[in-house]
Amino acid sequence: MSAPDAGSDDDPDAHRGVDLGTDPGADPDPMVRAVAVSYRYDSGDPALDDVDLEGRPGEIVALVGPNGAGKSTLLRLLAGDLVPDAGELHLPSRRGAKGRVAMGYAGEEACHFESLSGTHNAVFFARAAGLGREEAEQAVREQFDRLGLAEDAPRPVSTYSFGARRKLLLVEALAHRPTLTLLDEPFVGLDLDSREALADLLRERSAEGGTVMIASHDLDLLPQLADRIVFLHDARVVAGGSPDELLSSMPDVARFEFTLDGEFAGAELVLGEGMILVNSGDTVVLESERGQAALPEACFALVVAGARIRSVVVRDAGLAAVFRSVTGAELDV
Amino acid sequence: MTAIVWELEWRIAFARRRLFVLNIVVPLLLVLPVALGAAPAVHAAAVYVVLFAIFSTFGSAIPLVRDGESGLSGRVLRAGVEPASYFLQRTAAGAVLDLLQLGPALAVAALGAGAGPRAFFVALVALAATVWVANLVGVLVAAATRSLAEAALFSAVSTLLLLHASGVFRTPLPGSFGAAFESVAPFRALHEALLAMSMMTPVGGGTALGIWCFVMAVATGILAGRLSGSLGGSGRA
Repeated sequence: MSAPDAGSDDDPDAHRGVDLGTDPGADPDPMVRAVAVSYRYDSGDPALDDVDLEGRPGEIVALVGPNGAGKSTLLRLLAGDLVPDAGELHLPSRRGAKGRVAMGYAGEEACHFESLSGTHNAVFFARAAGLGREEAEQAVREQFDRLGLAEDAPRPVSTYSFGARRKLLLVEALAHRPTLTLLDEPFVGLDLDSREALADLLRERSAEGGTVMIASHDLDLLPQLADRIVFLHDARVVAGGSPDELLSSMPDVARFEFTLDGEFAGAELVLGEGMILVNSGDTVVLESERGQAALPEACFALVVAGARIRSVVVRDAGLAAVFRSVTGAELDV
Repeated sequence: MTAIVWELEWRIAFARRRLFVLNIVVPLLLVLPVALGAAPAVHAAAVYVVLFAIFSTFGSAIPLVRDGESGLSGRVLRAGVEPASYFLQRTAAGAVLDLLQLGPALAVAALGAGAGPRAFFVALVALAATVWVANLVGVLVAAATRSLAEAALFSAVSTLLLLHASGVFRTPLPGSFGAAFESVAPFRALHEALLAMSMMTPVGGGTALGIWCFVMAVATGILAGRLSGSLGGSGRA
């Protein structure tokens, strides 16, 4: 089994010259580019090590990796929040057309002016980014409607739920229609409708020629949303490509999602070669390198181990399986 | 860039009405016993000027450090507000709010001292300029600190040093370095204006205070980029 553009653990430079986070042949003029960027935490531990990445106009790039892989640090570097220890960052001008701030960034910190309403918060940030008062109010109203925040808009932010705070953060990042959008875990805390609405907003940004970069664990949505997915692991970019390229690299892998009666720890489960237990509990997830033909064997193994199967869903290999094949590690989603 | 930070500060101040009222009531309660207690004018003026200066320095430094720690200042600066504009608009709003909140206390002090309208007006102008300088001192103090506790400590130390240099706690020997510095110290004008409310003494240090107002504002504007580095939450992870 092979994964596209996978670097080797033994050879730290194995990824050089292949398409990892960058795709030099596709567009000569990326909106944003990181070249051999490294960054260390104050503790001295590497957060990013020799990372290459680029985002082209009209492209949605998803950064995927386990916690601590360096996704948030990479976004903060691109946002200008941190300065790299080594390497180069090529970023768009701070202000673009009509003097508007080119970048929209929503990081992990959902801090707001707590005593003010959501509207006042969002309008302030939109005006800071260069919109006039009326334009800002209109843009904010529209985005509140689309993300389902309109009812909360007049209330002080101190009364907001976690999800409402996250939505407000996204409105503040997107209302001025930035050409470079950087979002860290934008789908966390959002209900299903809001997730779809946000995905549509990001597609619009992309369709208007903007570059969107998101760090996300939402492996179900990313293949439909992202033009390119970049895997980060242990502070390095280890693979990248379009969702189709990544997923088609593992045509023989099938994923079986069993819904069971009661909990199942999986301790008694005996699996054949090429089959692994990905998740246990209410839903047991098994992955097989022998495709759907391994389904009877998977059912048999579960029943023998004492599980009571209620239903099973068969899927193709997901991004988690591709990540596992590249790194040997699990995505902690 | 329009005055969006100025506008924001006023919105926040009026959204937090309880705090706004407390900031009027607390100085009033501190001033009242001194004003009504027939304290000697020299002591009363010293109490008032210490209260007014520390109130402004703390009021500027503590929220700045808090907003830096929470990442809010970083968000504002990243969103597109220029650092100089952010700090100066914020300080201007803070100074005017301080003046509004300390004004009643000053009025009570003036009543207690039996001051006439002219002496009160001079003290009010000196207070306005002093709270502007004290707010700017607060910005610099906030930039030099790494926590709320440090900000409180450094605010107190720096303000008390400037008050001491301004001749609030002692009269320096004529011809000494202390006397030379006192003539240009920032809080001298307010101190003497407060003394003048009851003692009809001349008020000096006005020109020096005006220069402080200008120089501190220019310095804050020039250093704004560096200040944003320490107060904007950016730097290292």
